[in-house]
Amino acid sequence: MSLPTLARSRRGSELGLGMLAVVVTGGGYVVMSLADQPNLPADLWAFLGIVLGLFVLAHLAVRRLAPNADGTLLPLVAMLNGIGFVFIARLDRGQGRTQALWTAVGVTAFILTLLVVRRARTLERYRYTALFLGIALLLLPLVPGVGREINGSRLWVHLGPFQVQPGEVVKILMVLFFASYLVDKRELLTEGSVTLGRLRIPDPKHLGPLLLAWGVSIAIMVLQKDLGSSLLFFSVFAAMLYIATSRVSYLLLGLVMFVGGAVIAYMLFAHVQSRVGTWLDPWPVADRGGYQLVQGLFAFGNGGIAGTGLGLSNPRNIPLNTTDSIFAVIGEELGLIGTIGVISTFMLLVGSGFRVALQAERAFPKLFAAGLTTILGIQAFVIVGGVSRFIPLTGVTLPFISFGGSSLVANYVIIALLLRISDEETARELHPDPARSRRPVASST
Amino acid sequence: MTLADLVAANSVSAGLLTVLKFCFLALLYLFLVLVIRVVLRELRASKITVQMAEPAPVAPPVPVHDAGRSRRERRGTLRLQFHEPTGGDDLVTLGNEVTIGRAAGCGIVLDHDTFISQVHARAFQQGSDTFLEDLGSTNGTFVNGERLDAPVRLRKGDRVQFGNTLADVVR
Repeated sequence: MSLPTLARSRRGSELGLGMLAVVVTGGGYVVMSLADQPNLPADLWAFLGIVLGLFVLAHLAVRRLAPNADGTLLPLVAMLNGIGFVFIARLDRGQGRTQALWTAVGVTAFILTLLVVRRARTLERYRYTALFLGIALLLLPLVPGVGREINGSRLWVHLGPFQVQPGEVVKILMVLFFASYLVDKRELLTEGSVTLGRLRIPDPKHLGPLLLAWGVSIAIMVLQKDLGSSLLFFSVFAAMLYIATSRVSYLLLGLVMFVGGAVIAYMLFAHVQSRVGTWLDPWPVADRGGYQLVQGLFAFGNGGIAGTGLGLSNPRNIPLNTTDSIFAVIGEELGLIGTIGVISTFMLLVGSGFRVALQAERAFPKLFAAGLTTILGIQAFVIVGGVSRFIPLTGVTLPFISFGGSSLVANYVIIALLLRISDEETARELHPDPARSRRPVASST
Repeated sequence: MTLADLVAANSVSAGLLTVLKFCFLALLYLFLVLVIRVVLRELRASKITVQMAEPAPVAPPVPVHDAGRSRRERRGTLRLQFHEPTGGDDLVTLGNEVTIGRAAGCGIVLDHDTFISQVHARAFQQGSDTFLEDLGSTNGTFVNGERLDAPVRLRKGDRVQFGNTLADVVR
């Protein structure tokens, strides 16, 4: 397939699939308000205008700025964002309006990222800038007068009328740093090894970075009481280390270290104990610490296979029903069928992200794309697993669905970066630069 | 029943809402099926492109000084000893000319390492010497830690690296 043909077919798919996502979103909004009152929602046209307008804007930006990029990422995001928007708008009108505003900011950030980052490779140079900026942003909420404490965690910064969570941006900077660092060190990390039975274990002297990442993630768990971020941070690092070196031993070692660290933290700290206790048996504390989890489980149970119907449940008693527990609300109203649909959408999104990584030939874009995709996938896993009592419940956002501006904007930037890498790699694959590659191309078509 | 009827009606029946819910779910699944179809179509297309690109590239002929090989030349045949399983033989003889890369058409196929380009490097013989040449690979070919920008003569004991894959030159 030649490059222009492929680009045309990809953009065509993107537009078609995106329109379907807009239709599903609009339809969901109508059904949801019909459950409330017999009339079509008064703001239906405004709603449809915003959803359609934002998607078309993003699509046109991709057409112009990354014409060869993958055609499934943006529609999948539009679908997730749309479903989230429908549920948020129904649960809390005010938050719905805020979310619409943040979606607009997210799409703007998406377009700006495509505009500014013309080559993914240039980002590799900003490794230490990313590291220090990331650390500074992590510490920013602790600065008196700027930081805000919400729900017991000091993760917020107030910026005029807005609350911003800098941690969301830090995820991207962290992956950027890891990717360029690992590209540098990967030979070292791959080479020396000690054989232990059938396993080849990396030389202990090269384990420094893994140990450091482990230490930081345990520190986040203990000091910030933020198990979600801790899990996210460590698993993204272990996954990237594995992808960089193709050594399964790193993955196994990372798992053993994390489980070991978690067990020690469990024995030493009361808040970890109560979290795990609630997970193992939430019923004795159903009216206290286990309230959120138990209400979520009731919601899933009430939803059954096909759900109560859009807008036909009473989700008001689920705490944090627009953020951490939104998946439970989806489970109640759309049932098992709906939740499988949402999880499948996430799986396809992660699949598309990893296809971008696989297609990349250079080490940096490959690792960067894989790391960015891992962030989205792990986050979805942690919160879906949390509310369904598969793992201990920890508060992270369900990407693109949960209410929350910082997370939405950061995730749009992630998608823009993936599209940028995809665009570059597709162009390279089908049009090998003659100056760079002297290999004879078999058929010059 | 049209939407106008809905508006006219006083309330929307539970049955209708259930039907609408299933319509919503059906559309969601239709979307997923369509996405999967796009993905599969691209995967199939890329397989065809790869197949088109993969037949062993016609490398420019290498002048070999004498066709009849003397004993000395045969002694000069070098072999690569790979450090980790390559999927095939770990000890590969570098013949008259051999291409190294991930593509199936290469003389030495190293498809376990994604940091190796489709057609990564080429080893060829000239007289009694074996040379290694990088074919514009993305991640480079290294001999004793130095990245190749021109063909280099291989000696016994050299350490060669393609992508992440290491090999020693042995006789």
